[in-house]
Amino acid sequence: MTAVEPVAAPDGRDERPVLQVENLRTEFATPAGPLVAVDGVSFSLDRGKALGIVGESGSGKSVTARSVMRLLPKSNVSSTGRVLLNGVDVMGMSDAELRAIWGPEVSMVFQDPLGSLNPVMRIGQQVAEGLRVHHGVSKKEARDTALTLLRSVGIPSPEARIDEYPHQLSGGMRQRVVIAIALACGPKLLIADEPTTALDVTVQAQILDLLQDQQRDRFMPLILITHDLGVVAGRTDEVIVMYAGRIMERAPTTVLFRDMRMPYTEALFRSIPKIEYPSHTRLAIIPGRPPNMVDPPQGCKFADRCRYAQERCVEEEPELTPASRADHVYRCFYPVGTPEGDEALARNRASGRVDGDGELVHLAAPSGG
Amino acid sequence: MAGSGKAHLRPAGQTLLRAEDLTVEFPVGTTGQVVHAVSGISIDLVEGETLGLVGESGCGKSTTGKAMMQVPRPTAGSVSLDGAELTTLDDETLRRTRPVLQMIFQDPISALNPRRTVRDIIGEPLMIWWEEEEGRPPTSIWFEWFGRLFQWVAGSITRPLRYVAPLAAVALALWIISEAAEERRFESQLAWLDVPARIIGFPVLAVVLAIVAVLLVLGLVWLALAIVVPFGVVSKVLGRVPAAVGLAGAGSALAIAVFMVWRTWNSLGGYPALAVRGLLIAVAVAVGVWFVASLLDPSRAGASGIAGALVGVAALELFYIAGLDGIPKLLVLLAAVALNVGLYRVVSRQLRARREELRARAEPRVREMLEVVGINPDNALDRKPYEFSGGQAQRLSIARALIMNPKVIICDEPVSALDVSVQAQILNLLEDMKARYGLTLVFIAHDLAVVKNVSDRVAVMYLGKICEVANPDALYAGPAHPYSELLLSAIPHPDPLLDARVSQVAADLPSPIAPPSGCRFRTRCPKAEDRCATDEPEIQRIGDDHYVACHFPNLEPVDEPVAVSRGAGA
Repeated sequence: MTAVEPVAAPDGRDERPVLQVENLRTEFATPAGPLVAVDGVSFSLDRGKALGIVGESGSGKSVTARSVMRLLPKSNVSSTGRVLLNGVDVMGMSDAELRAIWGPEVSMVFQDPLGSLNPVMRIGQQVAEGLRVHHGVSKKEARDTALTLLRSVGIPSPEARIDEYPHQLSGGMRQRVVIAIALACGPKLLIADEPTTALDVTVQAQILDLLQDQQRDRFMPLILITHDLGVVAGRTDEVIVMYAGRIMERAPTTVLFRDMRMPYTEALFRSIPKIEYPSHTRLAIIPGRPPNMVDPPQGCKFADRCRYAQERCVEEEPELTPASRADHVYRCFYPVGTPEGDEALARNRASGRVDGDGELVHLAAPSGG
Repeated sequence: MAGSGKAHLRPAGQTLLRAEDLTVEFPVGTTGQVVHAVSGISIDLVEGETLGLVGESGCGKSTTGKAMMQVPRPTAGSVSLDGAELTTLDDETLRRTRPVLQMIFQDPISALNPRRTVRDIIGEPLMIWWEEEEGRPPTSIWFEWFGRLFQWVAGSITRPLRYVAPLAAVALALWIISEAAEERRFESQLAWLDVPARIIGFPVLAVVLAIVAVLLVLGLVWLALAIVVPFGVVSKVLGRVPAAVGLAGAGSALAIAVFMVWRTWNSLGGYPALAVRGLLIAVAVAVGVWFVASLLDPSRAGASGIAGALVGVAALELFYIAGLDGIPKLLVLLAAVALNVGLYRVVSRQLRARREELRARAEPRVREMLEVVGINPDNALDRKPYEFSGGQAQRLSIARALIMNPKVIICDEPVSALDVSVQAQILNLLEDMKARYGLTLVFIAHDLAVVKNVSDRVAVMYLGKICEVANPDALYAGPAHPYSELLLSAIPHPDPLLDARVSQVAADLPSPIAPPSGCRFRTRCPKAEDRCATDEPEIQRIGDDHYVACHFPNLEPVDEPVAVSRGAGA
């Protein structure tokens, strides 16, 4: 099983995208001024598809997901743009309306399973809670459904486990319970925010397999947020790479890995230690840190950490441009794997900004002259 | 036991750090059961080598790392560093080996004290060491000694007092109520209460008096605190919390104890009372002399600070004999407080000066370390850890581990909490540090790709046992143990065309309280047969620097003599 093959929608299904995000912009009021965490993000997600959102800490990937869910606090956050969930605008919803969609329409799996479970409530009750609230089923029925759900997320002997407390379970089992809770009301969209970052590699693989199975079986769209390109590789249909609150590159997964254009995507890819490399291989790094989003640089936000960057990148911010195919867009003047990109890299090498191994030496963005 | 055996160990003379038959067990509450965290593993490191310890959560890799550090000390087995056995060392000698053996933890932010500046966090090991070498000022030794003693005394006295005080208040209130109910009037010493009692009624008066009684008890406590707080502050300067608590409690306990003795003997009268008074006066004089001497020699001020309190109490007795009471007595108490405050100033100034001197001496070295790990010291020195990103904070942890010029650093999941891009920076930094300072590293992680990148030798662990020990390239080319295979298959590949799914059933780890018999991996192993449940596999050699503990390894065992170690990893 390689990348998820597109599954034909059964007849009579609604063919509109499940989620449409248009020009989403989320600002946090901070003492230093407004911090634009997400800026002009647009994407759509079709039924039965899996979308990966990848980026470093602070790239705005989690804030994007939380803005879509409307989970951010109201006091210091303002979100603008349009978020259509099955054609209904989420941005204008009242608290009561939001509570009604959290669960049956959209639900979320968070990074830390111990932190997202109630420590003093039996896991069965936690799984059943949403069913009781949203579907008004009886206690007995909810418990039966909870059992089925726990079994379907791969918890061995769920009859014995259903009355246990979260601390009695291992990290992987807890994350399975969290997934069971998220799936309880049959959501039309599941968002998994770094669901495996706190877990071991083996458990990570199991949890990702589980999410993928559930996504296929339920024909449910999935958004998988991670900082690791390796996680999204075999498990998503499309990938969005985010940096500084912007979409830097968006492409079908196989296209992205075969033909990445954005230097940032390339840098993320290069920094993963690959198992095929002999030991003590020097890893390519992304030097420096993401920009301060209270006072972001004028041009391309990645310019000062980019080995392709030229003067133009500092002065002017590139727009999202389509590559050879319409569903592959990127935001760069000197894209990877094009003559412009190669020329820019050669120029930087000549000027000493990039060393012989192709690594960035000077952090500062190239300046005029 | 599963994965026992020492076939993979190199001759003792060649190794720098060596653990043999290491066993760590933790009791499960009071149930009598035991968690078998690490069960008789043996592993060694040649100088300049990086050993990767890899396995899932609960496999005992971190416990192994910590047991090598002797935190906690292993239940059984031996750990030797440069030929010196660590497990039998007493606490003080062990502490003296710490500079050689340092550690870096998984979560850099919580591994660094959030209330201290980078300057202190990184320089502290050095400052403590200098203090050790040059001798600590006698003040702090005295404080620690008195702190311990008085903590014990205070504990045994104040614990019952906490229950006695409210009981006494209640008893007093009950007594007043019963008096009032029976006689409806107050005689003798309570006569003055007659008028207010008539005005506000007995029950209300009783409640008011009860409150007053409680306040009086509290008042005594506050008075005791007023005398004692300066000690607390001095100890805080010393940064020794137990001493601070001990001294604060000790002062009040001491005052109360002397007061009680005084009262008791006073009521007895006669010769015993005279004897006690004489003793107290003698103490007062002796302590007074000590106290004055200490003012001339500030290094003894700490010990005589305690004496200050004794002076105050003993002087009360002098005044009593002299027939003084009331205002003069109060003045003596105030003087005792004032003296304490004065002493606090003397001691704290001295300690602060010492700390400043050490800090100034440490600064060049702290700056050097920060520069080495890639942090600009000018911006960083006076900031606190939470002002740094995760990757930078991990750099700070590395700087702190390096400042003592260690030989061995145990890195416990140093990159597991970091982003992929930051992880690469830290891995490269560790490699640079290893080359620059000739370090020997134990690198603990659950991700084989990460471990492969930094290691010269990899040990795969499962449920407290070693499954496979190999050169990383050999291990990846041909994992001999089924568990190594499982771990390898779980690594996320950044290639969408590869099958991302784990081929093997990857169940949860069995309980380390009752690990499976025979080979511990058999419950998850696709190759397991009957023999695996009864016989525990021994570690055997199957190739050049490649050892496995499995009855059915993917590679055939070789029976040649063990090859000489590869020497220092370059």
